[in-house]
Amino acid sequence: MQMALRGVWQLKKLIVSYCDWGGSSRGIRAFMESELPTFKEKNPQLEVVTELIRGQHPHLKGFYKNKNERVVCVKNMTPEDILLYATRLRNALGRKVVKLKTRHVTKHPSVQAMKAALPKHSLVGGK
Amino acid sequence: MAHRRCLHSALLHATALISLKKSPPLSIVKALTLKPNPVITTSNLEPSWFTPWSYVRHFSSRKSDDSENEAEMEDSSDGEEESDEMASDMVRDYSPGEKEAEAAAIGYKVVGPLLRSDRVFKDYEPVFAVVQIGSHQFKVSNGDSIFTERLKFCEVNDKLILNKVLLLGSPTQTIIGRPILPDAAVHALVEEHALDAKVIIFKKKRRKNYRRTKGHRQELTKLRITDIQGIEKPEIKTDGKPLKAAVKKPEKIAATA
Repeated sequence: MQMALRGVWQLKKLIVSYCDWGGSSRGIRAFMESELPTFKEKNPQLEVVTELIRGQHPHLKGFYKNKNERVVCVKNMTPEDILLYATRLRNALGRKVVKLKTRHVTKHPSVQAMKAALPKHSLVGGK
Repeated sequence: MAHRRCLHSALLHATALISLKKSPPLSIVKALTLKPNPVITTSNLEPSWFTPWSYVRHFSSRKSDDSENEAEMEDSSDGEEESDEMASDMVRDYSPGEKEAEAAAIGYKVVGPLLRSDRVFKDYEPVFAVVQIGSHQFKVSNGDSIFTERLKFCEVNDKLILNKVLLLGSPTQTIIGRPILPDAAVHALVEEHALDAKVIIFKKKRRKNYRRTKGHRQELTKLRITDIQGIEKPEIKTDGKPLKAAVKKPEKIAATA
């Protein structure tokens, strides 16, 4: 079971990588000045690190508890968009993004009928 | 505005003149009016401001035109801003708690307080409920997870109460609602807000040179069901087993001893 510790935030660390020279990092530089402090305060459980990478496009890296990494490139984005992506990383679990098989995941599909106990040809009589 | 500007520039030039010529301090208007000729001969700045001085009337008329234009511009911009604000208000006007509750009622959920050291996660109980969220219905039990459309007004780790319950069931009892059970409540916890995998919508008309590709990611919310209320839950018979085990152990020890 992935969520053995339920109620626990799954995003452990967020690395905000930016460049101080490039024009594609303008948005993320503005984000770091304007919205990153409030984001940090709202999420005290999250370890936010800023990293300088010169000459490369900026990105956000999220590290989850299931040792999964998610990288989002935020080049040429406005600070509001970057905040949206950061919030999405924080809201998500670290699971792989696959198409859902069912919208209802359960371990106990039946309450009233014990299908394993009854042979298949007999009618299910409730209880 | 132009009037003010030309006055301001006139003031600047007049003060410059006065400082250059070291004349006794006079009022600026008097200085301008009293010294037309020497002013023209001596410095080159006068024609630049002297000519606008003669165009005061034009400026004033233009000023009125400008003011009219500005007023029109301001009105139109205000109108646009108002319409924009109205459009954004439709999206974001749910700040009052009442409106949030109304919108939540449409989606059949009530947001409770955030989780703070509550022991919400219980063991599996053999009780199920059929609950409706939006237009989808699910048969849920304790400990299940459900993927619904993105629910607004709730963050991750929020407690929800789903109040549109259509059916409750246990191994011994079934309660059917017509169509809703008013006293039943299903407690859930928001686990994540995430995007679904990308679905590529590809349209093609053959031999017509028409091909379109569009990507779509649906926003989902994962809820974990924690509690179902409104039905008598059967007593869990786990108390018998540890007692029997405890009884057995001293018997074995006695037997071995």
